[in-house]
Parts: sequence; C-alpha cells; structure tokens
Amino acid sequence: MMDILSKTEEIVEKAKAFGADEVVAKTTFGKYRQTRFSNNQIDITVAWNDYITDVSLAWKKRVVATQINDFQEIDAKIDRLLKLAKASKENPTFGGYAKGSFRYAKSMADKRLPDLEDPSRLILEAIDAAQEKVGSQIESGGILFTGFEDVYLVSSEGPIGVDSRSGVELSIRVFSEREASGHGVECSSTLAGFEPSRAGAKAGEVARMARGPKAGDEGVYDVVFDPLIFGSMLDVWADMVSAFSVLIQSSVFVDKLGQKVAPEIVTLKDNPGAYSLANRVFDDEGMPTRETVFIDRGILKTYLHNTSTAKIFKTETTSNAGLPFPEAWNVEMDPGDVSRDDLFKEVKRGLYLTNTWYTRFQNLAKGDFSTIPRDGIFLIEAGEIKQSLRDLRISDNALSILNNIVAISKERQHVHWWGEAETPSLSPYVLVKDVHITKSR
Amino acid sequence: MDEDLLDYALGYAQSRSVEYAEVRGQSQVLDGFVLRNGVLEEYVSALDSGFCVRIIARGGIGFASTNRWTKKEARSIVDLAFKYARAARRKDAISFAEEKRVETECTVAQRKSIEDVSPEERISSFGEIDKALASCGVKITATLSQCATSLVSKYFVNTEGSRISSFVPRIGAYVFITVAEQGKTEQTHEQFGYSGGWEALDEWNIPEKMVHDAKALRNVMVKGKAVRPGNTDLICGPKVTGIAAHESCGHPMEADRILGREMSQAGRSFIYNGGPYWIGTRIGSDVVTVVDDPTVAHSYGYYAFDDEGVKARRRYLYKNGLINEFLHNRESAAKIGTRSNGSSRSMSYQTEPIVRMANTFVLPGELSEEELVEDVKQGIYIKSFTEWNIDDKRFNQRYVGSEAYVIEKGELKDPVARPVIETTTLKFWMVVDAVSKKVEFDAASCGKGDPEQIAPVYDGGPCIRLRGVYVK
Repeated sequence: MMDILSKTEEIVEKAKAFGADEVVAKTTFGKYRQTRFSNNQIDITVAWNDYITDVSLAWKKRVVATQINDFQEIDAKIDRLLKLAKASKENPTFGGYAKGSFRYAKSMADKRLPDLEDPSRLILEAIDAAQEKVGSQIESGGILFTGFEDVYLVSSEGPIGVDSRSGVELSIRVFSEREASGHGVECSSTLAGFEPSRAGAKAGEVARMARGPKAGDEGVYDVVFDPLIFGSMLDVWADMVSAFSVLIQSSVFVDKLGQKVAPEIVTLKDNPGAYSLANRVFDDEGMPTRETVFIDRGILKTYLHNTSTAKIFKTETTSNAGLPFPEAWNVEMDPGDVSRDDLFKEVKRGLYLTNTWYTRFQNLAKGDFSTIPRDGIFLIEAGEIKQSLRDLRISDNALSILNNIVAISKERQHVHWWGEAETPSLSPYVLVKDVHITKSR
Repeated sequence: MDEDLLDYALGYAQSRSVEYAEVRGQSQVLDGFVLRNGVLEEYVSALDSGFCVRIIARGGIGFASTNRWTKKEARSIVDLAFKYARAARRKDAISFAEEKRVETECTVAQRKSIEDVSPEERISSFGEIDKALASCGVKITATLSQCATSLVSKYFVNTEGSRISSFVPRIGAYVFITVAEQGKTEQTHEQFGYSGGWEALDEWNIPEKMVHDAKALRNVMVKGKAVRPGNTDLICGPKVTGIAAHESCGHPMEADRILGREMSQAGRSFIYNGGPYWIGTRIGSDVVTVVDDPTVAHSYGYYAFDDEGVKARRRYLYKNGLINEFLHNRESAAKIGTRSNGSSRSMSYQTEPIVRMANTFVLPGELSEEELVEDVKQGIYIKSFTEWNIDDKRFNQRYVGSEAYVIEKGELKDPVARPVIETTTLKFWMVVDAVSKKVEFDAASCGKGDPEQIAPVYDGGPCIRLRGVYVK
C-alpha cells in the first residue's frame, strides 16, 4: 500500500523536477465485477482489473493530463507531458490546484465486495422476490455490480491521501407482459443492509400493477414521481449545477445565484457520504469532501466548484473537483413531511411515473426537454391508482418541473441506474403539478 | 503490443476445459482537448492499453480484462473468466454461430498522419472556429469545441485459429454554440467523425458549417413562426433522415435487443418472435431501404472485421419497406439459427463485444432535392433537429426541428420555429413517397451496453418526403 503511495509521490516529484508548476497524481487500483442477466438467466460475468494513475499538471497555466498504466514508463510519460504543456496554450482561468494539508475521514469501504463468492445468489434473491409479487411467469433482466478501489492521491500543493471506495448495486427490470414492466434498484457502498429482494419486490410489484396497459392521453397532469424517475431529474439538475455547465451555458441556473428556483420545501445537497455509491473522503485535488447545499429552501446558493471554477466565480471550492471540470458526487433531496401514501392521496387526477429514459434538451439554458417514461405508468384518480397506461412522454421544462414541486415524501431511496440516473442520489417520491404530457400521433 | 503475451493467454485458456476462448489486445493512443470560448481548457494525451479474455465453458460466458501486461496477470484473468463462465449455470447453453477461421492484417490509411500533427496545429485549427463565429455578425454568447483523436491497434486471436491485427485511426469533433438575439438564446451543436488522418479537417470545414448554423438559428429566432398543428407534407433533410434511420431502423433490428439481452438497459424491440413485426413484415413504403454498412470507406463507424473476427459487410435492415435482416453477433445468430453478419463491436479491452450499428443510412432514390420540394403544395422542410428521443421498444419517437422552413407551392419560404414530429416508426416510414439521390452522413456517438459503450457511427441518407404527417 505504501509502495503504491510512494510511486505516486515519485510521479509528482519527477514532474516537478521536469519543470511542472503544479501536479496532481491519483493512482487507482480497482477491481470491478458485473454479472448481467436476462430472460431470468445469467448472460455473462465481466471482471476488470484496473491499475492506472491519472496525472494532471500545469506549466505556466498550460494545463495537460495523461494516464500512466501500472507505473510503466514514468520518466518517458512525464517528459512527454511537459513537452505537451510547452506546446500547448495558456488557460488564463486556470486557478491552480487545492493547497494545504488535510486530515481525511476514515473510509468505510467494504473489502468483501471485489470477490464475492457467488454473485448469482444475490440476483436469484431479487428474481425470487419479483416472482413472489407477480408470479413465476416473468421475464427479468438486469445487473449486479460490485466495485472496490484503492485510491492514492498526491498533490504538489500539499494534499496527500489514501482512500478506499466500494459499491454494490443491483438493477432488475421485470416484465409481467410484453407491455407491462417494473424496474427496481438497490444501491449501497457496502453489503451491510444491501437487500436485493427489495429491488426485486419493487420491480415485481410495479410489473404486476402495470398489466393490461391502455394508451394514455395527452394533457397537463399532476404527477407523482417515483424515486427512480426522480433520480433522473436530480441527475439533470446535478449536471446543471456544475460551474462548468454554467460557464458553457448548458444550465438553467445561469445568472440565478441567490434567486428562487424552487418552492421553499426544496433543499438539494451534494454529499458523497459513506453510504453512497460515490463515497470518497477527498476530491480529485485532495480537498476533503463535504456536504454542499446548493438549493436551500428554494434558493440557489452555489454552483459546484473545483479550485479553478471557484476563482472564476470569486468563491471557494466546494470539493467537487473533477479535473478539469467540477462534478456532483451524490445528490440528496431533503425529505418532506408527508408519507408516500399521503402524497398519492393529494392527487385528484394525475399520473404516477416510475422510470424514464432518453432525456434530451432543445436548449439546456432554457431547459425545454422531453423524456420517455418507461415501466409502470399509472393513472391516479381520487388518490388511487386506477389504470395502467403506456406510450406517453414528458415534454416540459427542467426549471418548471423544479418550480412546480408541491410535495415531497418522508421516504427516500438511494438511486443509481444505467443511462438516466448516472449521478447517484437520495431520492424521495415527489408530487409535481402541471406536468405536460404528449404522445405519438 | 505484446502479441506473444496474448498468444500465451490464449494457450493458457486452451489448457482449461473451455468450449471457446478469445483474447483481444487493444492499445489506444488518445489525444483530446477542449476549448471554451476559444480558450484551451486542457489538453489530454494518453496511451490506454490492455487485454481481455472471453471464455465459453459449461454453456456460460465469462469475460475478464486487465491493463497489467504480465504472464501472471494473464493467467489470473483467464482463471477469472473461466470461473465466471462455469458459474453461470444456464438452463440453455450459450453457443456461437459457426464462423470461418481468418488470418489477416488490416489498416486504415491516412493521407495526413495524425501523429504528424503537432498540438499547436491541432489547437490552432479549432481556434479558427471561434474566430469565424466572432466575425459572422451573430451574437454568440458561449462556445465549446472538442477534438479527440484515437489510434486504435487491436490483436485478436481465438481457439478456432483466427488471428487478426488491425489499426484504425479516428478523429472526432464536437462544437456547441449558444446564440443570443432579442434577449433570448438558442443552442445548436454539430458532431464530426472520420476514420483516417487529419485530412478530415479540410473536408469538414467546421468554421463555415458553424457560421451557417449560427445564422440559421438567428434567422429562426427573428423570423420563425410557430407551426399550426395538423397534418402536412414534410421533407426531412439528411440529418433528420439519418437520426430516424438510426433510432427506428438500426436499434430495433439489433438481435440482442430482439432476444431480450438488453431488456434492463437499452430495452427491447417492437420486433419480436410471435409479435406483429418480424422478418418480411412491412414497416415502410416501397421506396424505403435502410442499410447498415461498416465498410463505407473512412466512415466514423468503419471496420473491416468485427470484434469476433467476422468479416464486415453491408446489412439490408429494411428492404423496400420490409423488415429484412437483423444485426447479429455470433451469440444472437446461433440463437436465431443463422450466421453472424459482423455486427459485434467492443469499444475497449474492458468491455465485451455486443451487437452494434456501424453506419446506418437510407439508400438514395433518383430525384433531386429540388424535385422533392417542387411537388409539395403546402408543407414543412426540417433540415436539422435539436431535441429527439425514442422509446425503448423503438416505436414512439420525437424530433424537434432546429433549422426548418415552410414550403409553399413547391418553394422554401419563411423559417419555422421548433416544428415537432411525434409519431411511430410505422407511421413515419409508411408515408415516405420519395427519396432524393444525394446521401449525406453525420457522425454520432451511439450509447449501448452496461457498462455503457459509446460507439462511433455515421447516420444519414438523402432527403425524404413524407405525405400527411402530423406536425405541431
């Protein structure tokens, strides 16, 4: 372990000796395993081992980066990187890397994760739980992923740290009929409390309710978002609150600092806490990670920053480096004061949406977008689910959705899913009024 | 690349009780940079090099990869893949469709070698985009330009005796701009891609294209009128034809999707055994023929052999309006009782090869674009699009026009603001009554797989004319 840290230090020292002004090297030794299944059977198990050092350096504000595989050819690669820096162009907005010496929290990573003896057992637990809800005649597919990383970071500006990061997630989609499906996810940083059956039961229950769907109607609806689909919305806002998205105007939050962007019941935070798939004790500059409230009771308080973007906006880093661009780690929405069941009761006539995919924007600054709900889509009348629907699309605006939140559940779920909910989140059930729904003609 | 080590890994795999094994080494020299408002943010240069092994044993598949080039590591990943293959405990064993043994080397030629282009020249070339935009008379409030080159060397060997070396240089670019006018903003982007050398830059002429886009966007902002919703004739430019071909012809014809292997991620297909659509079913008019073809020279999705060692060829997906041929890898082909048509691609040594498109496009007809327009009394011409999506069975899709015009009495008139087509695959392709003769391609990045693999592809086609489409 110390040997890897020493070699990472050696890279930084060599880069400084070759003339770099500032250097950050991050070595990741990772073991990742994924089992994929479909039609209730294992299709493949994939294992990949990764031994990589990411090196970022600046020379006279020329910012360059490379990767070194398994500490091979360090001298040649650093020499080449410096030559590249000298041939490159100045970035006047480069603000340096984080400076200082820090104490980091203790990692809570689960060392059992990289080499589970029988990962298919966890998948079968999920499938069994789905079958208990909807019967044995189902088609199910999904993944079980485990990852474990040892991370060693050394910066010429002072930070030096060792971290271990782990994650386990199970995603299962269940079809009870060709056009009736449900999706469940179970995500955690450790095996403690990880219950695949929870995801299977959720997918099975939604698939059961989704049987016999009818074509839905266009219109403006009050919509209950399930934590899974709301995780996709949190992913959208997480991308948009990165200072880099603001700089390139790929964000509805441009010029809105200090302004009301949501009702008072909405508080959104970034927090790569120990429970989350994004668990980490330092960011990619070596800053200790922390909780950052970016929407506080409806008011946009800050963008997410690394050192360079913070200087552009004349503020402090939020420990979201990301080199060269800041990124959200894990978005949490504060819980509301109603139960899930009471939230449904507030809907006279509306929809319950459980999952979505293919979210695309007309204009990221204005926020006009559409996305296609999949899996269970349900008509709610007088607070109760009345009918399964299909073939509808949300065609609305990212800022309007945020503004039109009227209720948030007490219950929250840790969500991460392929494609649409890439930023892990802690997501509740959310009621949004006046959501525009369209369909094919 | 240490081919001896890869041969050693295959030999070690053969010493186990495998039904099949393959080893693929892949080295990628990657160079890329980002300009924000013409200023360089960062330049990245790296060599990503590793290898993988895929094994069939006891009817299951195991896959393992590493970027540590040692014999010990090679044995370790073979052991892992073997263990995981045997642990699958499938009811029905996986097998691969029969394939010929191949020994070959293939290389894509470069007229101007990417390796010979200095970082200064690369940055300077893309700096020209911002210079052109700054002087075009349109207020541009933000730009983002990205360039990425990759020099991909692969070495593939399997237990059937195939041995294939390949080298494909690729260059990709992306430009995103925000235009401001009368207190409002609109955005557009262009993507470019090519397999070959730096000569691509001359062919693309990105500054001119982006200036055109900026002016067209301003024109829409200033003069564009909203559409009165209703049925109308519609002409789709090659960009719109291409995205529709990719989304509603290419994706639903992927056999792994049809068989359910992607059910939890990218989804399934409206085409399935026992359903209303299968090979031979009509899905479009007679004039609609959509192909996927990896052999288009210098295309972004070019390859000569796929990542299972199968020779690439053109696939006729929809032929004269009929569902014709699925995209297959060896696993899906065996399940359906046919042969692979070379559609198996992997983007990295870390990822399994899966069924992918390469270059998907509508074949041309005989009319000129002008002749297509002349025969429209009242309609809309959508030249390019912004927001788009399609459901995961690939049937309900939506395209929102970016540059679009009214057609009146056979002539293009005023711009139209954000016309929206929201329709089904069947309705879209059945009402195509004419196809122009000039095919144009656009580069795109196609996402599929878990972990997601972003594949370089072309989509494209000629202009197509649709009759009586609901536009809003």
